[in-house]
Amino acid sequence: MTEASPAPTVDVRDVWFTYRDGQYALRNVSLSAVAGQTTMVVGVSGSGKTTLLKMAKGLVPVQRGAVKLLGADVPRPGSRLDSRVAYIPQQLGLVRTRSVLENTLTGTLGKLGSIPSVLGSFPGHLVALAYQRLQALGIEHKARDRVHSLSGGERQRVAIARALMQEPRVILADEFTSQLDPVTAREILDIMRGIAKEGVTIIIATHQIELVGEYADRVVAIRSGEKVLDAAAADVGSESLTAALRA
Amino acid sequence: MSSVITRGRLFAAAVLAAFFWALWSVGLLEPDRLTRGMSNLGIFLSSLFPPDFSVLPTVAKGLVETVQIAIVGTLLGFILAVPLALAASRSLFPPAITAPVRLVLAIIRTVPSLLWGVIFVVAVGLGAAAGALGVALYSLGYLGKLLYEAFEGVDGEVIEAVRGVGASRLQLARYAIIPETANVVLSQLLFMFEYNVRASSIMGFVGAGGIGFYLLGYIQMLQYSKLTTALLVTLVAVVAIDQASNWIRKALVLPSEVSSVAP
Repeated sequence: MTEASPAPTVDVRDVWFTYRDGQYALRNVSLSAVAGQTTMVVGVSGSGKTTLLKMAKGLVPVQRGAVKLLGADVPRPGSRLDSRVAYIPQQLGLVRTRSVLENTLTGTLGKLGSIPSVLGSFPGHLVALAYQRLQALGIEHKARDRVHSLSGGERQRVAIARALMQEPRVILADEFTSQLDPVTAREILDIMRGIAKEGVTIIIATHQIELVGEYADRVVAIRSGEKVLDAAAADVGSESLTAALRA
Repeated sequence: MSSVITRGRLFAAAVLAAFFWALWSVGLLEPDRLTRGMSNLGIFLSSLFPPDFSVLPTVAKGLVETVQIAIVGTLLGFILAVPLALAASRSLFPPAITAPVRLVLAIIRTVPSLLWGVIFVVAVGLGAAAGALGVALYSLGYLGKLLYEAFEGVDGEVIEAVRGVGASRLQLARYAIIPETANVVLSQLLFMFEYNVRASSIMGFVGAGGIGFYLLGYIQMLQYSKLTTALLVTLVAVVAIDQASNWIRKALVLPSEVSSVAP
């Protein structure tokens, strides 16, 4: 008897996305990810990685095909998004004039009522949790600093802390180590690997294919909006991955 | 190439022709009139001096009321403008909501502040209350537009990141849009206040309070030396307020380039 494979937490099926000028961003792309697994979506700039991640989050419409998150249809653009699915954009999307702590607490907004949070009131246990997260990421001492005064690696940690405050089951991260030096990038990816081990599904869009072998369980390659490879990362060498992206 | 040059010359000639036609239409190509005007201007300017400082207490009182009109009008306008600008921002709401709000703001903007003053003199009677309400409505129209444009200029990734945590529209405004635009909003508020001090100084022309009442009176009674005192007092106040605004900007506005302060 074969063991049943776990249900995917992110299930993207045959999606298409076309810009108004008729250019395709995605053509018939599918992607499936399960809990505890890190999937890296690789491709050159403009290949459609960001659109795929945004579609998986519900930030751009699914024009054709289907996206299921945690077993349910992805929310339609414009509606309130699922806080259990964290999204870290390429430039991180931090509010630079606010403190590290405030940016971290932003991750709890989906679970709070609008009025208390608009008044700036966060429950004590969430503030304590935010400090715990920041401590685990090594930036608790910067909690009161404004984001604009942080280094690139520190900002990355704030974005991860914000995502963790969502108590996410899925984290979608778009090129979020591409602007870091190699040492810091590996530190950040080590953190992400630790988060995946706790059962979180992680999907990272990147053009840094040299990181795939070390940090990904699965790799999906996209070229000009089309999926050209979908395999276990252990089965794919960087040369064949480069060849797939160039072919 | 030559057709481009010809088109350019034709366009320049058309602009020049329109300019001279307009000059002639408004009467600025009449030498007699211009000569007479220069002579009258000389007489007027000479009669402005020396200033009559005996009216200083009176005009100072009018100036204080002018600044009060500007403060109340600017802040009232701002308080009303923020929610309307959020409702007009396409970053937060669909066109079905933003379009009518923008239309209302555009209608408010078409009425000059002095006319708002007249309208509120009719509504609430003569005095500073009418001036403050007039300035408030005018500020609402302009700040509303400036603010929604600033709100829409917020980095799309910040909006997406905060929306991504499951934030409501109200939370998105509170935790992404307003903090990201705080510098711009503060600058616009200070600019509007500076402008409103000037606008309030003529509200008295229509009976809506402030130093304008005295300015108009001195002009109508040909008391130009007293007018000079009123104008000098206004000038000192405007320069002082501009300087104070600059200090506030420097003290509160954060650096716009993040990278320049990062270690």
